[in-house]
Amino acid sequence: MPIDRRLILSINWPLLGLAVVLFLLGTVNLYSASGYRLEEGMSLAPYFLRQLVWGAMGLGGMILVMLFDYRHLKTIAWPLFWLTLILLAAVFFAGKTIYGARRWLDLGFMNFQPSELAKIAVLIIGARILAREREPLGFVRLAYVLGVGLLLAGPIIRQPDLGTGLSLVLILGGMILYHGVTPGVFKTALIAIPSMLPLAWLFLHDYQKRRIMTFLDPTTDPLGSGYHIIQSQIAIGSGGFWGKGFLQGTQSQLRFLPERHTDFAVAVFCEEWGFVGTMVLLTLFCLFLHQMVNIAKDARDLFGSYLTAGVFFYFFWQILINTGMVLGLMPVVGIPLPFISYGGSSTLVNFCLVGLVLNVSMRRFLFKQS
Amino acid sequence: MSNLYDNASQQPPRSGLLLLQGLIFLVFCLFAVRLWYLQIHRGEFYARKAKENQLRQESIFAPRGLIRDRNGDLLAVNEPAYALGLVREDCQDVDGTLRQVAQWTDGNFDDLKGLFVKNQKRVKSFEPLILVPDLSFDQVALIDANRLRWPGLAIQVRPRRQYRHGKLLGHVLGYVAEANEEEMERRPELALGDYVGKQGIELVLEDRMRGVKGLSQFEVDVTGRRLQERVLKHPRAGHEISLSIDLGLQELAMDWLDEEAGGVVVMDADTGQLWALATSPSYDPNAFTSGLTPAQWAELRDNPQHPMQNRVIQSVYPPGSVFKHVVAGAGLHYGMLDPKEVVHCPGFTQLGSHVFRCWRKGGHGNVNMERALIESCDVYFYRQGKKLTVDRMSEFAFASGFGHPTGIDLPHEKGGNIPTREWKRRRFGEGWQGGDNLNMSIGQGYTLVTPLQVARFFAAALNGGKLLKPLLLKDDKPVVQGQVPLNQEQLDLLYRALVRTVDDDRGTCRRLRTAGVVVGGKTGTAQVVRLTDALKALKDDDIPYRFRDHAWMAATAEKEGRRFAIVAMIEHGLHGSSGAGPVVKALIDYIFYGKITPKPEAQKARSRAARLLSHNATGGGRAN
Repeated sequence: MPIDRRLILSINWPLLGLAVVLFLLGTVNLYSASGYRLEEGMSLAPYFLRQLVWGAMGLGGMILVMLFDYRHLKTIAWPLFWLTLILLAAVFFAGKTIYGARRWLDLGFMNFQPSELAKIAVLIIGARILAREREPLGFVRLAYVLGVGLLLAGPIIRQPDLGTGLSLVLILGGMILYHGVTPGVFKTALIAIPSMLPLAWLFLHDYQKRRIMTFLDPTTDPLGSGYHIIQSQIAIGSGGFWGKGFLQGTQSQLRFLPERHTDFAVAVFCEEWGFVGTMVLLTLFCLFLHQMVNIAKDARDLFGSYLTAGVFFYFFWQILINTGMVLGLMPVVGIPLPFISYGGSSTLVNFCLVGLVLNVSMRRFLFKQS
Repeated sequence: MSNLYDNASQQPPRSGLLLLQGLIFLVFCLFAVRLWYLQIHRGEFYARKAKENQLRQESIFAPRGLIRDRNGDLLAVNEPAYALGLVREDCQDVDGTLRQVAQWTDGNFDDLKGLFVKNQKRVKSFEPLILVPDLSFDQVALIDANRLRWPGLAIQVRPRRQYRHGKLLGHVLGYVAEANEEEMERRPELALGDYVGKQGIELVLEDRMRGVKGLSQFEVDVTGRRLQERVLKHPRAGHEISLSIDLGLQELAMDWLDEEAGGVVVMDADTGQLWALATSPSYDPNAFTSGLTPAQWAELRDNPQHPMQNRVIQSVYPPGSVFKHVVAGAGLHYGMLDPKEVVHCPGFTQLGSHVFRCWRKGGHGNVNMERALIESCDVYFYRQGKKLTVDRMSEFAFASGFGHPTGIDLPHEKGGNIPTREWKRRRFGEGWQGGDNLNMSIGQGYTLVTPLQVARFFAAALNGGKLLKPLLLKDDKPVVQGQVPLNQEQLDLLYRALVRTVDDDRGTCRRLRTAGVVVGGKTGTAQVVRLTDALKALKDDDIPYRFRDHAWMAATAEKEGRRFAIVAMIEHGLHGSSGAGPVVKALIDYIFYGKITPKPEAQKARSRAARLLSHNATGGGRAN
């Protein structure tokens, strides 16, 4: 398929630029977070360099995703859905157990996590179904859409990977809200969801319950999961207005901050760049999301608009949950911050999803002009 | 591309777009407010927290000042000791760690836990709480090898006091031990686990010897590993101290005391410096440094020989015949006794219906003051004491340094007791009796002295009557505290009597004769009279713990301008000249000729047997 010159011109450059800037900030931050100031311990290179490699691969993946017309995804939506379901089932029976959770398929050369694929699958199937709905969702239609989502989320929650499982539900839920529900559904949900929380409590693992308890009062477990929260707040708070400067964050450099290269990476940023720097980062994220809203608005079809909304929620929830956790506003759940936390496959997926949205944006004029 | 064109009329849901923008706005506001709260509103609080996380300070222990004897031999030194501490902040599993420590050190988990709970409020969470003050080398190696698996455990090296000669100088040096609550309150510079002097010179010169702790600051990572240590303040070692004690002489004195209850004082008659201050039985101060076990403490406390008692300054005894020189001095001072006056001794004298006996049954016949001193005639002093009365005897005794502490630089010194009419009335509610004068005149009755007071008095007989402060430091300058109220002629008379007690064939101290040395002496045998009522009225500490005779030997020795007063006192049961005399003789030989005469083994065996016997027997014979 030849690439139309107009496609290149129509690329939403601000979104692409913001993604790259965020990624580069994240990489610089990783350099600090993984660098152990003194000779002992780990060396600087691995996380920071590996992240750069993943980023390059991500950009490549992004370009690949931009090459084909996103509307083809509509046709593969259902096959992708079934494939994902089969892979999830395969994990259930033949998966590799790491850290007590069965989440990976051993492909020989790498470990593959089908739940990552499920995130993309839920976006596409959600966009396809919702784009065809003419009216706000009533109870029946809502049950249908949610049912499709739960088919994917269920096995993931069983792995157990509550975080990813719930994130599927949240992405789909966001898309449903974007589409709109009938006032009756809305009111019911407003009452039903909070009242189901005690029930959900029963399904949580002990460690998950403990995390929530600790979130409510971190001092009850200062050496356990409360430690994360306390240390994270110390790191952030001690950054003050201007921050301690690049590579000067004592809490992260001296390794008081746990998981400072993954889930708590942003705390390192807050410590070193202070209130000013963090506000800049936050603004960049908001602009990044805002560009997606623009794309969703201008998309040439509803499928593209819903797809973009799905990607929006994919990023939105991660930013909300991760930053909320690091800032001590939410319980500790293992969710990375896009572009800032270290993570190979998540970087790859992030860039590919940005590519997907760019794909939607660059093809918005094709129909009108031809 | 069959399905290229969708229905173009489809518009994205307006409410949905508003929702997305609203969410962005909400998240921005929420996080901005939270960041403002954490980084600006509470920024300083967290900055302080971060500093505590990262920077720790630790004291660098200062070594205590060394202690040497007068010849420079080391008596007290410092050796490195290894203590095991627990840094709470770094320790994730306190109980598990304590259990492991208990296993390593053959300790008890419950004890460690108790210690931990008791002290955890006193020690900051990032400072080591000392669990085991004293690790053996094997334990250090074992723990060090496994330390990475037990974060929070810290081996601390600090100087520990070591007393080279153990028991030999226990009472003079005293000991150090960990500071207690009260001491920490009094001296704010002390921290939990610091050593302070508790007894002896260590206590008296605590401030000079302790030194000043240094301070080091270091960064730690989350496992408590130290990075980048920096000394903020170097420690200053305590001052070195040289005692006036002569180690060899002290050793000899202790050898002769041989665990018998008693004491020896050797005083330089011209400076007041003490060359030996031996008390027996003694204790090993090293035992206190690492903390006594309850069993060790019980043994020291319950030992009938009271090894913690410094018999030279803390025990008071009736002086017996040694006091006759004081009585004679009083007679001379008040002009009431003519030295030439002759008294007839038939072996006893009578007061009312009461018979007072001389130690020699047949009597001494006619004796003047000098002969009475040389032969220690009791009857002479009964007669003269009655004439002098208590008022003059006690006044002179006070003036001669008895009845109050000498002011030696050791804690808990006793002053002894010199009775007066007023004192007796206050103490017993009854007046002074005629018989009391007689008892007092031969150093019995209510008169109680310390061996150190006796030594100081006899030193005065050599140095022209100066009462010198007994000194323990080599660099201390002589301090004259008083003057025995006698002129030189009178002093000479007393001194001549002392020397003739050795030289004269009828003298009681013949065995002190030493070629080339002018030796004077006075034996004493002090009967501890069973005065049940009187004893009840005394303070516990003033009651001699066995009511038996004490053997005294007070001596002077001079040769080529070097002059010493030497006193040996052995509690109960041993004869004055034979028990205490040989000790003094051996000391004189050592001082002037460097000769070491150890106590004969046979004599050691005998004294051991006597000691065993004395535990059961009460009362006892009396001889002069």
